[in-house]
Amino acid sequence: MADFVQLVILGLLAGGIYVAVGVGFGLVWGVLNIVNLSHGALVIIGGYITWQLFSALHIDPFLTLPVDAVALFVFGYLLQRGLINRIIRAPLLFTFLLTFGVNLVIVNILLLIFGSDFRSVTPSYSGQGIELGPIVIPYVSLFSLAVAIALSAALAFILNRTRIGLAINAIAADRDAAQLVGIDLRHAYAVTFGLGAACAGVAGGLIAMIQAITPTAGEPYTLQAFVVVILGGLGRVSATVVGGLAFGLVEAFGQSIPGSGSVFANAIAFGLMVLVLVTRPQGLLGRLR
Amino acid sequence: MIARAASIDRWRRLFVIVGAILVAYALLAPITSLDAAQSANVPLLADRLWFRIATIIAMFVVMATAWNIIGGITGYAAFGNVAFFGIGAYTTGMLVAKAKWPFLVALPLAPVVAAAFAALVGLPLLRLRGHYFAVASLGVGVAVGELVQNIDYNGQPVFGGASGLFLPIFAIDNRGLFFFYLMVAVAAVAIAVTWRVLRSRFGYGLIAIRENEEAAAVLGVNTTAYKVAAFALAAALTGLAGGIFSQWNVFINQDNAFPIEYNVQMILMALLGGTGTVFGPAAGAVLLQLLIQFLGGSLPISVDIPFVSVDARPIVAQVILGVLLVVVVIFVPRGVIDFFGGSSRLSWSYLRQSLRETSL
Repeated sequence: MADFVQLVILGLLAGGIYVAVGVGFGLVWGVLNIVNLSHGALVIIGGYITWQLFSALHIDPFLTLPVDAVALFVFGYLLQRGLINRIIRAPLLFTFLLTFGVNLVIVNILLLIFGSDFRSVTPSYSGQGIELGPIVIPYVSLFSLAVAIALSAALAFILNRTRIGLAINAIAADRDAAQLVGIDLRHAYAVTFGLGAACAGVAGGLIAMIQAITPTAGEPYTLQAFVVVILGGLGRVSATVVGGLAFGLVEAFGQSIPGSGSVFANAIAFGLMVLVLVTRPQGLLGRLR
Repeated sequence: MIARAASIDRWRRLFVIVGAILVAYALLAPITSLDAAQSANVPLLADRLWFRIATIIAMFVVMATAWNIIGGITGYAAFGNVAFFGIGAYTTGMLVAKAKWPFLVALPLAPVVAAAFAALVGLPLLRLRGHYFAVASLGVGVAVGELVQNIDYNGQPVFGGASGLFLPIFAIDNRGLFFFYLMVAVAAVAIAVTWRVLRSRFGYGLIAIRENEEAAAVLGVNTTAYKVAAFALAAALTGLAGGIFSQWNVFINQDNAFPIEYNVQMILMALLGGTGTVFGPAAGAVLLQLLIQFLGGSLPISVDIPFVSVDARPIVAQVILGVLLVVVVIFVPRGVIDFFGGSSRLSWSYLRQSLRETSL
C-alpha cells in the first residue's frame, strides 16, 4: 500500500514537469495550429539560463524562473514574428519542417556555447524532502509541481481575463473573423507563441533542478509534450494539466512493472497516445472543434 | 511567351542531359574498382568511401521516393516512416543472425513484414487527418523502436536489446559494389513504382484523396483501401531499404535502424525536390545527402568552413543544415524541381510570391 501511495505521489510529482512542458506546447498547437518541434529546444534554453544564473551568480533556481519566462517570451515572440508567421498559410508539414530546422539550429548553437557536458542545478535543499513514514516527498519536485500548477493558472488567467487573451481565443475560434474585428494577427500570433515559449522556459528551469541537462536533452520533452497534449486534449489549459498528471502516473506505473524496469515507460506512453488518438481524438477532456 | 517557353524547354533539356551524365558516372565509376578493371589499367574513379556515401544516397532515394507515395501523392503527412525502415532492418537482421537464413532469402521478407505492419496500423491511423495523423504516426515510429530494443523473453533480449544485433558478413566478392548496386536497383524500383502509380487508376484515386477526400469517396474511390494500400506500398519500399541496410552495415540497433531524424530528412528531401512528382524526391535526396556529407567533411571534395575548428565542424554543419531547412521551407515551398521541370524560374519575384502566398 505504501508502495502504491509512493508511486502515485512520484507519478503526480513527475507529472508536474510534464504539465509545465505540455501547457506551452498545447497553447501553440491549439491556437496557432502549429506543432512546434523546437519546443524541447526552448525548454533546454530555459534550463541553461537557470543553470547559468545559479552557477555564476548563485541565485536560487526558483527565483530564476521569471527570467527564463521573460527571456523565452522575447525569443518566442521574435521567432514567430520573424520566421513562423511566414508559413502560416502553407501546408501543415511546413511548420513541422520549419520548427525542426529551428530546433536543429538552437541545439547546435547551444552545443557550440556550452559543449556537451552534463549540467545540473543543485541548490542546498535538493535531495531533501518531507518524510511521512515510509513515503518521501522531495522538496524540489513538490515545488516544481506547485510552480507548474501556478504557471497553468497564470496562463488560464491570461487567456480568459485579459484583452490579448481574448484575442488569442478569438483566433483559435476563427482566424479570419478575428482579423475582421480588428485583431492584429501578426502580433497576436507572436504573443501566443511567446507565451508558449515562456512556459517552455519555466519548464526548462524546473527540469534543470531535477536532472542534468545537455543541449540535446530536449528532444524527449518534445515527444512527451505530444503525449501530454493528446492525452488531455487540445484547447484548454485544464485539459493539459490533467494530461500531464496522467502521463506522470502512467510513466510511474510503467516503470514499476516487474521485469520490465524503466525501459517500457516510453513505449507504453506512446502506445497510449496512439490509442487515445484513434479512439478519442479530442483527448480525455478536450472538445472537438 | 513562346520565346520564354522555348528557352525553358532548352533549360529542361540541358538539365536532363547533365543529370543523365551525372547519374551514369555515379553508376559506372564504381566498376573501375574491380580487380579486372584495375589490372587493365583503368584509372580508379571511386574508392570505398565513395561506395559508402553512394549507397547511403541510394538508400535515401528509396526512402524519400517511398514517403512521396503516402505523403506527396496521397497527402497524408506520415511522420513515422522510419518505423518501416527499422522493421525491415530487423526482419532481415533476425532471420540472418538468429535463424541463419541466407541473406537473399531473408531480404524479400523485409518488405512483406513492413507492409503487413503498415496495413495493420494504417487501418486505424489513416482515419486521422492532418496533424493528428502526423503525430500518431510519429508515436508509432517511436514506440516500435523502443519495443524492439526492450522486449525481453525469459530475461534475454529478443531483438538483441540495447547492444544491438550483429549479422554474419555476407560472403561475396566486391561486397561494397554489390550492396551499392542492390540499393540502386531498389531505388530504381521505387521510382518506377511511383511512375506507374501516377499513371494508374490507383494513382488518380490517391490524388483525388489528397485534393478532397470526401469528394473522392463520393466519386466511388474506396478511400480506406486506397490509403492503406499507399501506406503499405511506401512501407514495403522503405522496409526493403532497411533490409539491405542491416546486411550491408552488419550491425543494427535502435539508433541506426530507428533514427527519428530520418523521418524529417526523407520529408525534407521530397519537399526539396518536389512532392507528388516522380523524380523530385530522388533529386532532393541526392542533393540533400550530398550536402550533408559535404558539410560533415566526408566527401573527397571539401572546403574549410572559415573560423571553425575541426572539432566544431560537425556541429556547425548541423547549424547550416538547420538554416537551410528554414530557408527552403520559407522560400522554395514547391521544391527545386519546379525550376528544372519548366514551370517556373528562380527569381526575386518567385521568392517574393512564395513568401506572400504562405505569410500571415
